[in-house]
Amino acid sequence: MTVQGRGGRRERPLGGRVARLSLALALVYGGLTLGAGYWQVFRADDLSRDPTDAGMIAADRSVVRGRILDRDGHVLATSRRDASGEPYRVYTDTSLSAPLGYASRLYGSAGLEAAYASELLGTGGDDPASRALAKFRPRGQRGDDLRTSLSLSLQRLAVQLLGTDRGAVVALDPRTGDVLAMASTPTYDASGIANPATSRAAFAAATGDPDQPLLDRAIQGRYVPGSVFKIVTAIAGLSSGAITPATTFPQQPAAESTGLLVSGYRVRDGHHPFTGSEVLDFARATEVSCNIWYALAGLRTGGAGMEDAARRLGFGAPIPFDLATASSQLTNGGGPLPGGFADNVELANAAYGQGEVLVTPLQMALVAATIANDGVEPRPRLVTAFVSPTGAVRDVSGGTLGRVLSQGDAAAISAAMTQAVEGADGQRFTSGAQVAGVTVAGKTGTAQLGGTGEPHSWFIGFAPAEAPTIAIAVVVEQGGHGGSRAAPLAGEMLRTFLAAKP
Amino acid sequence: MTAASLPGFPRPRIRRRELGLLLVVAGALALGNLSLGLTRNGSLGLVDPAGLLLYLAALAAVHLALVTAGRRVDEVLLPAVGLLGGIGLLLAERLPQDLVVQQVGPAVLGLASLQLVWLVLALVIAVVVAITVRSDRWLRLYKYTWAASGVGLLALTFVLGTDVNGTRLTLDLGPVSGQPSELLKVILVVFFAAYLAENRVLLADARVRVVGRLTVPPAPYLLPAGLMLALALGIVVIQRDLGAAMLFYAVFLCLFYLATGSKVDVVLGIGLFLVGFVLLALVFPHVRDRVATWLDPWADPLGTGYQTIQALHAFARGGLLGTGLGAGLPTVGGQLPIPAVHTDFPLAALGEELGMAGVLAVLGCYLVVVARGLRIAAAAADDVRALLCAGLALVIGVQAAIIAAGNLKLIPLTGITLPFISYGGSSLLVNGLIVGLLLAFSDRGPVPPGEPRRARQRGGGGR
Repeated sequence: MTVQGRGGRRERPLGGRVARLSLALALVYGGLTLGAGYWQVFRADDLSRDPTDAGMIAADRSVVRGRILDRDGHVLATSRRDASGEPYRVYTDTSLSAPLGYASRLYGSAGLEAAYASELLGTGGDDPASRALAKFRPRGQRGDDLRTSLSLSLQRLAVQLLGTDRGAVVALDPRTGDVLAMASTPTYDASGIANPATSRAAFAAATGDPDQPLLDRAIQGRYVPGSVFKIVTAIAGLSSGAITPATTFPQQPAAESTGLLVSGYRVRDGHHPFTGSEVLDFARATEVSCNIWYALAGLRTGGAGMEDAARRLGFGAPIPFDLATASSQLTNGGGPLPGGFADNVELANAAYGQGEVLVTPLQMALVAATIANDGVEPRPRLVTAFVSPTGAVRDVSGGTLGRVLSQGDAAAISAAMTQAVEGADGQRFTSGAQVAGVTVAGKTGTAQLGGTGEPHSWFIGFAPAEAPTIAIAVVVEQGGHGGSRAAPLAGEMLRTFLAAKP
Repeated sequence: MTAASLPGFPRPRIRRRELGLLLVVAGALALGNLSLGLTRNGSLGLVDPAGLLLYLAALAAVHLALVTAGRRVDEVLLPAVGLLGGIGLLLAERLPQDLVVQQVGPAVLGLASLQLVWLVLALVIAVVVAITVRSDRWLRLYKYTWAASGVGLLALTFVLGTDVNGTRLTLDLGPVSGQPSELLKVILVVFFAAYLAENRVLLADARVRVVGRLTVPPAPYLLPAGLMLALALGIVVIQRDLGAAMLFYAVFLCLFYLATGSKVDVVLGIGLFLVGFVLLALVFPHVRDRVATWLDPWADPLGTGYQTIQALHAFARGGLLGTGLGAGLPTVGGQLPIPAVHTDFPLAALGEELGMAGVLAVLGCYLVVVARGLRIAAAAADDVRALLCAGLALVIGVQAAIIAAGNLKLIPLTGITLPFISYGGSSLLVNGLIVGLLLAFSDRGPVPPGEPRRARQRGGGGR
């Protein structure tokens, strides 16, 4: 930008000032450029993916959302058009309400419908290059299909088995992290919420229900785990070297009747009188679910060792997943002892799943899957691929959350869990989880809640024990003993899944 | 192009550079039109080919008229302005035509047709002024008359004007309606130029000490400057037109600096305006609301902040390269997200469909226009003409910057137009007048006009 005139002219009295003014104006325009860059590059993604963005709203009203499919290609969610030609969502089954969520013109979206809105609507550019290329293609009237790892039949079965109870089931393939079923009951009428004609009534019914059907208990519910947490204690003890499979505690048999005195507080057990004066080792203690043995193992492992293992398993932070998960916790934190325990009593209680321990069903399914997968924790996932309207498939890569414990330690825990289901004494509690012709590994839990209510009924496990293809976590709120409600439910799930396998 | 020149008639002069640049502009506009057609119809074809051809023909006619006239006037202004106008026309074609509908005789014209009519009229004004205006005597001799008429126009607007969107800017006189503040821009620049050129030495040298080394010109010479400040703040309060106030005042300060070279005075001027503005904001609720909306439009996302938020979302959707012409501006229930997109937010629309690249290109075009204007000013023969040319160029450049900054939420949003691109007859015609004056005053003819020492030679014919 030159402001110099041609040479040889008369004196230009304002020349220098014009140059300086030009510079000032150029700086102002430079500021405008920075402003444009801020909104068009720095804030571009965050604003244009906002659900209140006119582009997203317009796409929601005109673009037909892609379908959501299960692992076998069954349609889980599809779209129809209303009288005015605007599309709305229809879900195959209410059992899918937890993982799929809903997409409603009135109430926005939830679940996978929200998490993958931009892919389902076809507005999701993943990188600037493909976004630029997309300009030269005809505008999509249809978004991408989502291919999920869910099995419609297993999902239906889980919801059916939970029945009128509140609870959750998470079943996944321990080798890949593919979630096979993710049920939360009660379910809600997602199709009703999506349909403009019934939207208000269905949404009011769901939000007004005191049982909170909109809460996805499988990933957002935080439960006292009870004895299923002993597997976490086992992982902590074995991987830190504090215990071995041969570890016994001489004071344990006597404490069965009198209670174990920890810092002036008595840890009581007394639900396996048949072991009498037998000094239990790791496998036997797991088989009969001995609270005293696990309290002692937890005390020997220490708060730091417990916390270390829990953190490796994913406690203390949301689990990386397609949907937002609640974090599981070992303690409330803030206690003076390592790991945040208030005292040794809390540590002893936490070791068998009481204390301040709170877990999500997904987290416990991953604990089982970690043992099933030889000590490596798989990264859970629901969406395995995007399929564009033209048929182009974009696979989503799976992965792991890393090794949690050694293969040998995992094998020891697997053997103990097998004994808990198949062993002579284990059967007293867990026979419901057995599957004819298949070895099942598992652990029940009966989570005492204090007060007078029935305890939460828990089971985690996997099968076949030698080469697991499915890992599962079941919680039935106030369903009583783990062996009476959760274990048979899991057994039915495992039986159905393994029978369908060639 | 060497037609035999008749005695008394100018010798045609080839304008090679302008022709080349105009060809580039024509190609760019044709490409833009094709891309709009591709998005809209899915096949390669022009949208409204008659409109595009008419506009290009008008540009060609202006070029030919300048060639025929044979004056040595600037060759870059016309292509730069032509490109901006063409982009505005493309945007008008892309937007829903029923945004503006006017009955003209038997025909009902939509947005694009009206924009084309105004653009062609603006070009006609520009070329007529560029060819016929030889002297600026008529401008500089009657500076106080001009200033009085400008203030009169402003007062007339306030008394007789009609409110549009809460600001009283439109003067409606039967069949003719317009926004006099557009013309006021030119009138004020003429006055500033004449006044500052006359008093520049006094303003710069006769200083009165205020505090320490801080000096200001003596009060009598500052009176017009004080009046200008009062006028600007008055426009904010009475006409509720913050954009015009900022524009007038910024151009005044720029010219004041050019005339006196005193940076202190400019900083003082900016400070006084800001202080005055803050005081106004404390006193007048409508000014306060404007500032609050600017600082946090999300406080009322469906009310006062709505347009601002929608504009920012439009910029964000555009990203670096834009959605492509015709592919952006999603409609919800048949409604555009930004209702005033064709007048107040054309930059947001361009930002969405042409991306940041398009925004930078448009801003670059304005810089070219200003740079040419300032170059003409720097080469001018005397102070009045230099200040006049600089002021005219700044009116365009500063106005574009103010509305662009408002769109981008860098300053409070104002309702002024984006020159040559926004829809609006008054704005286009006045900007045509400005271009015409700049072209006329860029004449590098052998004899600079308005010099008292020599009588001006008529034309260049017969040399």
